[in-house]
Amino acid sequence: MNSPNSSDSSPRTRVALVSGASRGIGRAIGERLAADGYHAVLTYRADASGAEAAVEAIRAAGGSGEAVKADVTSAADIAALADRLDKEREGVDVLVNNAAVLKNGLFALMPDANWNLVLDTALGGTYRMTKAVMRGMLRRRWGRIVNISSLAAFSGSVGQTNYSAAKGALVAFTKSLAAEVGAFGVTVNAVAPGFVETEMISFLTKEVREDFLKRVPVQRFGRPEDIAPFVSFLCTDGAGYLTGQTVRIDGGFVG
Amino acid sequence: MSDDLKKRVKELIVRQLKLEMDPATIADDAPLFGDADGGLGLDSIDALELVLGVEKEFGIKVQDEEVGVKAFASVNALCEFVRQKAA
Repeated sequence: MNSPNSSDSSPRTRVALVSGASRGIGRAIGERLAADGYHAVLTYRADASGAEAAVEAIRAAGGSGEAVKADVTSAADIAALADRLDKEREGVDVLVNNAAVLKNGLFALMPDANWNLVLDTALGGTYRMTKAVMRGMLRRRWGRIVNISSLAAFSGSVGQTNYSAAKGALVAFTKSLAAEVGAFGVTVNAVAPGFVETEMISFLTKEVREDFLKRVPVQRFGRPEDIAPFVSFLCTDGAGYLTGQTVRIDGGFVG
Repeated sequence: MSDDLKKRVKELIVRQLKLEMDPATIADDAPLFGDADGGLGLDSIDALELVLGVEKEFGIKVQDEEVGVKAFASVNALCEFVRQKAA
């Protein structure tokens, strides 16, 4: 079983920071990493009760966690969080860049604000969060960055040019960053979930759902529990030779 | 410029980058990076290592890439950078 504590005699507990972790995939990942023994720091933008509930579940299971209000589009929020974690816990060992928003719509009619927000949250947020924790990982010569991409990065779905651009950018960013920091014991990977049953897809019509399922060999929608275990694996010592990869977890979607 | 600081910087470079050479043989104004003649031929990964080493050894922060490139051009440049930051 993976023990995230450092292998020398110091009792330091490794820290896992998960953005957008008040619900859905982020929350499942946060809870799983806490179960793996990390001190899980779950950030949320507005859903305080969701984040608090996640932390309560973590503590009830005997794990260590905290909920932090931090908007990944805010450089100030991120700097404050990173500074505090540096002082209190010597920094961050695992970063899961999960925070994202949808602003779907046809490209020709898309307001600038919708383009900008989606890019700034998923891609800009990833940039800011990763930058804030990277020096510490390099210094300690151990780190795990997991970027949550999406099937949208590959599938060409209508109404998602902004989301697809952001999620696709994460795939390329993952490869490039992995090449830079591999020498320091830091791996960088991405996971691309398909349609996972969370609030983010709750608006889909019955028709869209049925159409989608026709193309999924596993013949069901995904669950957050389908995503978290692989992220957990990526964050283990044993996954140290796996880097620069994007793994699709989409029930085998054919499209 | 203090010879002590130069010596410390040269030893840091050799130690941090695990170079097999005597620190004293590094010329004060030799280009550290790139393919220039008489330079050390360090690359961008070395640059990252050196930034970490300098931050730790001298307790300073290297803020952004521009500063880094100028500040790390040679031993002389690095000494100047450290003195400014420590002041």
